[in-house]
Amino acid sequence: MFDEKLTAHLAELSKLEFTPEELSEMTKDMTDIIALMDKVCDFDPAAAPYTLDSVDYEELRKDTYKDSYPNEKILENADNVKNNSFVVPKVV
Amino acid sequence: MRYQPVMGLEIHCELLTNSKVFCTCRNEFGGGANTRVCPRCSGMPGTLPLLNKGAVKLAAKAGFATNCTVNNYSAFDRKNYFYPDLPKAYQITQFESPICTDGYIDVVGGKRIRINRIHIEEDAGKLVHDDYEGVSMADYNRCGVPLIEIVTEPDFRTVEEVQDFVIQIGQRLKYAGVCDARMEQGSLRVDVNISIMPYGSDEFGTRAEIKNLNSVKSIGRAIEYEIQRQSEILDKGGKVMQETRRYNENHDDTKAMRSKEEAHDYRYFPEPDIPPVQFTDDEIEAIRKEMPELPHQRFERYTAQYKLPEEDARLIIAQKEFSDFYDEAVKITPEYKLIANLMLGEISHLINETGADITEVKFSPADIAKVAQMAAADTVSKGSAKEIITILFNEGGNPEQIAHDKGFIMDNDADGLDGIIDEVLKANADAVEKYKEGSTKLFGFIMGQAIKACGKGANPGLIKKTLTEKLK
Amino acid sequence: MSLQELRNRLDNREIGAVELAQDYLNKIKSRDGAVNSYITVCEDLALEQARAAQAVIDAGSSKAMTGIPLSVKDNICTNGVRTTCASRMLENFVPVYDATAIERLRAENFVMLGKTNMDEFAMGGSSQTSYFGGVKNPYNTDRVTGGSSGGAAASVAAGLCAAALGSDTGGSVRQPSAFCGVTGLKPTYGAVSRWGLIAFASSLDQIGVVAGSAFDTGYVLNSICGYDENDATSSAKAQGGYTELVGSDISKLKIGVPKEFLDGSSGEVKAAVLKAADFYKSLGCEIIECSLPSLEYAVSAYYLISSAEAAANLSRFDGIKYGYRSGLGESFNDLIKNSRREGFGDEVKRRIMLGNYALCSGYYDAYYNNARRIRTQIRREYCEIFKKCDVILTPTAPTTAYKIGEQENDPVKMYLADICTVTVNIAGLPAISTTCGYGADGMPIGMSLTGRAFDEKTIIAVCDRFEREFDRKECGK
Repeated sequence: MFDEKLTAHLAELSKLEFTPEELSEMTKDMTDIIALMDKVCDFDPAAAPYTLDSVDYEELRKDTYKDSYPNEKILENADNVKNNSFVVPKVV
Repeated sequence: MRYQPVMGLEIHCELLTNSKVFCTCRNEFGGGANTRVCPRCSGMPGTLPLLNKGAVKLAAKAGFATNCTVNNYSAFDRKNYFYPDLPKAYQITQFESPICTDGYIDVVGGKRIRINRIHIEEDAGKLVHDDYEGVSMADYNRCGVPLIEIVTEPDFRTVEEVQDFVIQIGQRLKYAGVCDARMEQGSLRVDVNISIMPYGSDEFGTRAEIKNLNSVKSIGRAIEYEIQRQSEILDKGGKVMQETRRYNENHDDTKAMRSKEEAHDYRYFPEPDIPPVQFTDDEIEAIRKEMPELPHQRFERYTAQYKLPEEDARLIIAQKEFSDFYDEAVKITPEYKLIANLMLGEISHLINETGADITEVKFSPADIAKVAQMAAADTVSKGSAKEIITILFNEGGNPEQIAHDKGFIMDNDADGLDGIIDEVLKANADAVEKYKEGSTKLFGFIMGQAIKACGKGANPGLIKKTLTEKLK
Repeated sequence: MSLQELRNRLDNREIGAVELAQDYLNKIKSRDGAVNSYITVCEDLALEQARAAQAVIDAGSSKAMTGIPLSVKDNICTNGVRTTCASRMLENFVPVYDATAIERLRAENFVMLGKTNMDEFAMGGSSQTSYFGGVKNPYNTDRVTGGSSGGAAASVAAGLCAAALGSDTGGSVRQPSAFCGVTGLKPTYGAVSRWGLIAFASSLDQIGVVAGSAFDTGYVLNSICGYDENDATSSAKAQGGYTELVGSDISKLKIGVPKEFLDGSSGEVKAAVLKAADFYKSLGCEIIECSLPSLEYAVSAYYLISSAEAAANLSRFDGIKYGYRSGLGESFNDLIKNSRREGFGDEVKRRIMLGNYALCSGYYDAYYNNARRIRTQIRREYCEIFKKCDVILTPTAPTTAYKIGEQENDPVKMYLADICTVTVNIAGLPAISTTCGYGADGMPIGMSLTGRAFDEKTIIAVCDRFEREFDRKECGK
């Protein structure tokens, strides 16, 4: 059953923040959405495996290097840059 | 109470490829912040990873070096977590289908340590902390550097087993050209999972994971500390927490790290941007054939075929370049023991004294082979051989020329010696007398006199032989 | 005017490339206020590109797209031109590289008029979730365009470009094309490189074309298709020549009509599609009733897979490297949460939440893995159908375009409306939508033709055959 505790847990995994009102609204939406998604649980797992198309080893990219991008291009869209690096609040 | 420690390892190794694992930036250590970065490895929107064939090949070689099965099918997954050194907020790794599985390495005491898997993944960037400003700065140069992670089963019971395993892994990967295995630079990083249980129990305790171990020595010290710490908790009736702990070399202790994310749910799922890799048996076999001789195989060759003592063999294989040098030299002159003695004696001594490296010395394996050949043929004495090596080490040059110029060529003319030795016996008649009466230790004294008289080109073996006969 | 005619006129100097571009720019200025199909209009760039194109034409070395003015969906990266994904998160994001599709068009000296509006991060079927305001249907501005490539479809329908690049993850090219009465082609997965397409769901996303006719969609696809070393999922099987079967005899083809698609559609949609089937029958085509039994699972499986991939793909938006950065946040965790809270709209947040639900421990096997299994099953069922049929005919959407505000706030209703389009993405197949009738409300009804993988040629020819006979209503051009 979907409840606010699960919504809050998913919000943490998603790095999203909700006000109490938003959280209850989101819980309601998610309850309805999950009810629709529950359809997949009816599918017989034995009916089909999951597969992926593969590529042969020979087709992989050759191990050669090229010039990297100019530093300023990499940093161009960042809001806060110092010493040619991206600035983030201090992490311990 | 004394407890049985149980340990397993997770070892991350940076691969020696030319380019990064999912982009074409150069794979190199160091450099100015964010100078080896492109839209791909900095996780810009709309970019896609491109798997490096070279990284796959080196991972397969790591598998061969550790008796793993290299799988025909391997696939990539996304491991999701938020951290500022991980620009895409997911790490591309292999979860469901790793490239190598089911290997092993035998360690001290003949114990077999099982390897669960080896998988390919990308390294994260680096954060530089600015305490004054209270910020961290993200540098993505290391993002996308190819790694393999080697995961063992919890088969270790002693510090020695762990240390031997780590040394062997480093050596094998270096020999195979997979990784330069520099723990202090972080190109080989060992995490130890450790728990303790009462002796005789077969139920494992709760484990802690220790990180930040940058030498074989710190691995030993961290394990000792952790055994002590966990024992004290259990002795007091407490419970060991499952957590990640960081070893601090200066304090020689471990401290719990703040977890990267409160909710440890990595939500692995198949990476849709990288099709799984299909390896044919022929392709796998072709890579296997490229495998060079590994250190444990060299050890076998040195001890079984060359009859070197185990300790000598171990010392020679410890460094690949050193062992390569030895192999080159014995290929020219198969004086296995003699060359081993010269390399582990005088050469090692000089290298250690000066901090030089075998790859940068002024002489070649052919020069050492020549010296060994001269010594074996009694062209120069063993003592002179050492002196020639010192000269080669300091100045370089041609060993034969040095032997000539410095008068090391031995005079092997027995007739010539005869007269000189007769003179010596005459001049030391008293000693000869006493020797013949039974004071056998005087032989050394007479021998010394003889050598002195014969001069430095003399062959001590020949002098001894002549002397022995004349004193009968 | 078809793109081929436009090509001829440009090459014969009956029209100048600059004059053509200026004409479109003028139309955008005067008409787009009512439609809101563009987020960014590149006036200076377009004129500069047109001048360059004219020089190429004058030198007698024009290529298929030289001087042809296109609009580009705003989730396709354009070097130096901001690319927003219709999100506050990327309001000021200027890519430092071009998508491969753009690079290939630039190599032919195309003209980029601007970047088109869409649902935020391509998540939606109404084009109402844009941070830059919703798109209005040129047929009737009270109605939605559909989505997510609503701006692309509207820009074509309103005559604000010669053709448009869109993207299609679950119907995002076909459904708005149907709603706006134009033609939309979703190529086979891998036919067009995804390099530079800002990812929504990597295993489903595909760049597609919206244009005035089936021929024109193939004409543009010829210039952007093919293997790209930057995208490991792109394919060398996409070889071009997509218009070469146009005009050929299609009477020997077998057209499958899966009943499940009709059952879920409104009466007038069903009738219009069956009428189209009758048309093909009258040509001599064999109409085969067939079945895609797993259709009932398709919407759920699609939303679980696409949302799971989206949750990971959108995790990179943290305010640090690019994109919206909140002023709030003492810690990394606070900064990222606030940036995402303020930068993303509600639907995007719902998809991220749903994706993490599908992937988180305890739910993964029941949801994500079953969705993957359903994917295999749907592929198998398509294989079965293609043993008997060459082309599959379905409605593009269960209804015509609804009124703005009518259902886009009900996520479940919105999701269910994707029933006709998502299976094609799940199976990676090509499909094309064109108008096959009009509803009682006067809005266009869309039908879709789905083909075998990399067989765009056939569906384009079959679609073209219908378009030749069908009297398509022009909207206020």
